[in-house]
Amino acid sequence: MTVFKAFLKVLNKNKSPIILYTVILICFGAFNFQTNDKSISFVADKPDVYIMNNDEEEGITKNLVNYLKDNSNIVELDEERLDDALFYRDVNYIVYIPKNYRNDFLNGKNPTIEVKSTTDAQASFEEMLLERYLKVANTLQGIYQDEEELIREINEVLETETSIELDSKVDVSSLAKATFFYNFLSYSMLAGVIYVICLIISSFNSRNVRKRIIISSMNYKKHNRILLLSNLLFAFTLWLIYVIMSIILCGKVIFTSGGIIYLVNSLLFTIMSVTLALLISTIVNNKDAINGIVNVVALGSSFLCGAFVPVEYLPSFIIKIAHILPSYWFINTNETVKYLEVFNFNSLKPVIINMGMLVFFSILFIILNSIISKRKQIID
Amino acid sequence: MFRHNFWYSLKILFRSKALIFWTFAFPLILGTFFYMAFRDIEKNEKLDVIDIAIVDNEEFKNKQDLVTTFEGLSKGDNKLFNISYVSLEHASSMLSNNEISGYLLVTDEENKIIVKENGVNQTIFKYVLEEIDTTKRIVNDIVANSTKEFTDYENIYQNAIKLYNESEANIEDISTTNLSYTMIEFYTLIAMTCLYGGILGMTAINKCLANMSSVGKRVAVSALSKLKIVLSSLCASYIVQLIGLFLLLIFTIFVLKVDYGPHIFKVILLSVVGSLAGLSLGLMLGAVFKVKENTKLGLVISFTMLGCFLSGMMGITMKYMVDKNVPIVNKLNPANMITDGFYSLYYYDTFNRFYFNIVSLLIFAFLMIFIAFISLRRERYDSI
Amino acid sequence: MKKIIEVKNLTKAYKKLKAVDDLSLEVYEGEILGLLGPNGSGKSTTINCILSLISFNKGNIKIFGKTIKPDSYDIKKDIGVIFQEVAVFEELTVYENIDYFCGLYIKDKEKRKTYVDDAINLVGLQEFMTFYPKQLSGGLLRRLNIACGIAHKPKLIFLDEPTVAVDPQSRNNILDGIKKLRDNGATIVYTTHYMEEVEILCDRIIILDKGKILANGTSDELKELANIEEKVTVEVENLKESTIEKIKEFKTVDEVEFSNNVLIVTYKKGKNNLVELIDFLKDEKVVYNKIFSERPTLNDVFLELTGKELRD
Repeated sequence: MTVFKAFLKVLNKNKSPIILYTVILICFGAFNFQTNDKSISFVADKPDVYIMNNDEEEGITKNLVNYLKDNSNIVELDEERLDDALFYRDVNYIVYIPKNYRNDFLNGKNPTIEVKSTTDAQASFEEMLLERYLKVANTLQGIYQDEEELIREINEVLETETSIELDSKVDVSSLAKATFFYNFLSYSMLAGVIYVICLIISSFNSRNVRKRIIISSMNYKKHNRILLLSNLLFAFTLWLIYVIMSIILCGKVIFTSGGIIYLVNSLLFTIMSVTLALLISTIVNNKDAINGIVNVVALGSSFLCGAFVPVEYLPSFIIKIAHILPSYWFINTNETVKYLEVFNFNSLKPVIINMGMLVFFSILFIILNSIISKRKQIID
Repeated sequence: MFRHNFWYSLKILFRSKALIFWTFAFPLILGTFFYMAFRDIEKNEKLDVIDIAIVDNEEFKNKQDLVTTFEGLSKGDNKLFNISYVSLEHASSMLSNNEISGYLLVTDEENKIIVKENGVNQTIFKYVLEEIDTTKRIVNDIVANSTKEFTDYENIYQNAIKLYNESEANIEDISTTNLSYTMIEFYTLIAMTCLYGGILGMTAINKCLANMSSVGKRVAVSALSKLKIVLSSLCASYIVQLIGLFLLLIFTIFVLKVDYGPHIFKVILLSVVGSLAGLSLGLMLGAVFKVKENTKLGLVISFTMLGCFLSGMMGITMKYMVDKNVPIVNKLNPANMITDGFYSLYYYDTFNRFYFNIVSLLIFAFLMIFIAFISLRRERYDSI
Repeated sequence: MKKIIEVKNLTKAYKKLKAVDDLSLEVYEGEILGLLGPNGSGKSTTINCILSLISFNKGNIKIFGKTIKPDSYDIKKDIGVIFQEVAVFEELTVYENIDYFCGLYIKDKEKRKTYVDDAINLVGLQEFMTFYPKQLSGGLLRRLNIACGIAHKPKLIFLDEPTVAVDPQSRNNILDGIKKLRDNGATIVYTTHYMEEVEILCDRIIILDKGKILANGTSDELKELANIEEKVTVEVENLKESTIEKIKEFKTVDEVEFSNNVLIVTYKKGKNNLVELIDFLKDEKVVYNKIFSERPTLNDVFLELTGKELRD
């Protein structure tokens, strides 16, 4: 009990970094959930477009504007901030309709339409749409002289609707939220656990305190066992807090079979974090160095394994490197669960392999830890 | 004696491992992480070849226009699709394994696309099917309005297709080429390094003040004037800071291939002014607050991280949202002044915004220095 | 004698607490002045005021005949200070630390080099010149602390409890060093709450309590104040109440204490007290083992003046 009390006291002194990492997790979670809310029913993913119409909105000009409105998502923007909006992808495509467009077009001049584009897939698609319209309009302009008739014909040609069917039983959007949360959790968990455990162990390990513990009447091995248990208890509590947070943020999806996998997976990850933290605390004795190491280890594995940037966006050579990091296997499970529809041995095989890897890493760290600490004892 | 204190301050700063880690090594490490994580993000957003499947039943094979169109779109350098021609069951399982974005099922009644989620790939798939319809209709339209004899149908038909295909959409892209938004990440990194320089300024000032540290007491009773001591210490920390910053700049330019735009001297000007802002921030915190050195360190780091968060380090949209909705916050945020300065050099052709940021940084720096010197002018303390 | 420091009616108050209360003192050239007093008696505050580090409410302070202000660099040039806490840079070696602080006074490089070497020799750190402070033991660190304060050969040196928590060997080294400094012509103000040090070292002693001067004089002059001539301690095996009463009736005896087989007899004045007591004990057939006599200490002086011990 004494050891545990001392543990709690040291923990209490170092609570601010834990709170910091947790607050970051909540902030990022909440911020990203809001921007990431798409419905499950199929709506054509329309590009965001801004139309800068310098012509009168009448006749053929109005028809062009209407066509763009129907096929894309028109955004309202401050005219002075258009360039910023384009840079930050608030708008994918800006269309400048020139002055006298209507007259020039009707006279067969094929006026230039200026555009600004983010050149991503959305913008490319918008360009296809605009191109189609202009080609159709130009072609028909040579045939029909009357503006009203021309407009009617253009619209008739362009009016199409292909039937599209959504074939998925998985609630991808809410699972995507949970996946995002648990991926990000790998950062907060790793940073929090390593930071606290290293600090606490280095406090208990500082030369004089350690001497005092060794000469005390308590069995040194027993003392270390209690310390290990306290660390595990702390990590478990942290895990529990994060799970409760995930339930609040993601809702009932956590209680589905996919959600259970998230829980088991993150629990394994927590245990792995504890073993890694113990290993680091054995190697590094300097309190000042801990802060730097925590940041490098936690940020490094989070960036390289896809906790911040989705895995599918990472360069393939980075993903190869990431295989040697436990976070990769943790995140891989989360990503798999996102698309998992049936739960049988075959579909769960990758998940089981990933979890096996986490267990493997935990054992590896424990073995390394005992080898290194034995060596250090001899040197001491 | 100015030089004496200056050299020793340099020595002291270069030898403190924690300082050197946070101001030199950490930005380099973080920058490398950024580079590795964000390298391909924009490439992935470009239109990629889309994997689809087509159920190769009799109905599909009978629709010649569909067969040729999709064949055309899956060939050549600019191909749009990778197409697998498979059975319905196979297509369905490919879809559930995320091997394809969707598949086409042709029946007698309609052409149907089956997808699992909505995204731009699926929309383009749909667009292509629609395009086939459109072409059919416009050709029919042209043929119907043709004045030529009905007997020459094939010729008219070919002409109509040619007419449509050759009609040109007169679109001109006038956007600048510097559109890589991940650059913002690296700009916030520079901003972070500039402001972290405040730690150096703070350390330097702490050792000069009798009420901050015990060495400060010793320095205060010495025969060297306070102004000389403070100025030479600040010069030393500024030099250390600039060395760290230029190492980072060189590293980002040559190793991480960060693009700062064509105006290299303005980039250097901004770095120098940004560092000054960081230094003055540290000076102010060091001179005004009488708390433990670790607490001050925490103050500088939290202020910097908050500033970088608001200027887009943890998500570029953040900067845009703040700029758009509460511009005043980022106009007062030195991290954003630096980030925005680099951004305007990279993205804009005009320099108004750049100079606005430079002036803001200078005002910020002088305000900080002003506050610090008012506090430093107190020559005797009430207590130590 | 030339007055090096002249403090008149100095008062320094923190809110309602008066740390220094209407204090006046003088320090003469070439002497070692001891400022003795318990923790919180105002010793450090007085020194900080003299050094113009902190503001004070009332009073006037002159050093070398000139009023000192925070920017009196010509006065500060000739002052050396060794503070209670060790004030050195972790990042600099022993030699570099001394050189840095010396360089705040001495511009000339050649001169500075000989000065730094002298300081290192004085405190005996020759073997540790390239060590970093972290590698030094507590006593060596204190010596470095002193070397940093006196390397520029100041005419006036303040030492604020330089021997707190120092091992005996280092302490002797430090005390010898201080004597050498005085022999080289420096004036020294030495604050401590170790009375033994003051007795060995100081030419003159000022006893402070609650910001006021209680006594001022040489060690012997102060002991007069204690109103005690001699204190005799005897270890006895058997002692009757009646014997104690008889001892109390001796003419010169001031006080008799007896507990745990130890008899302490305090004499106010008189000579041959010890012989008298031994004869008496023989007559009374008291068996005794050890017996010794001691002169009053400064602690007794302090006890007499304030009614409390110097050290708690």
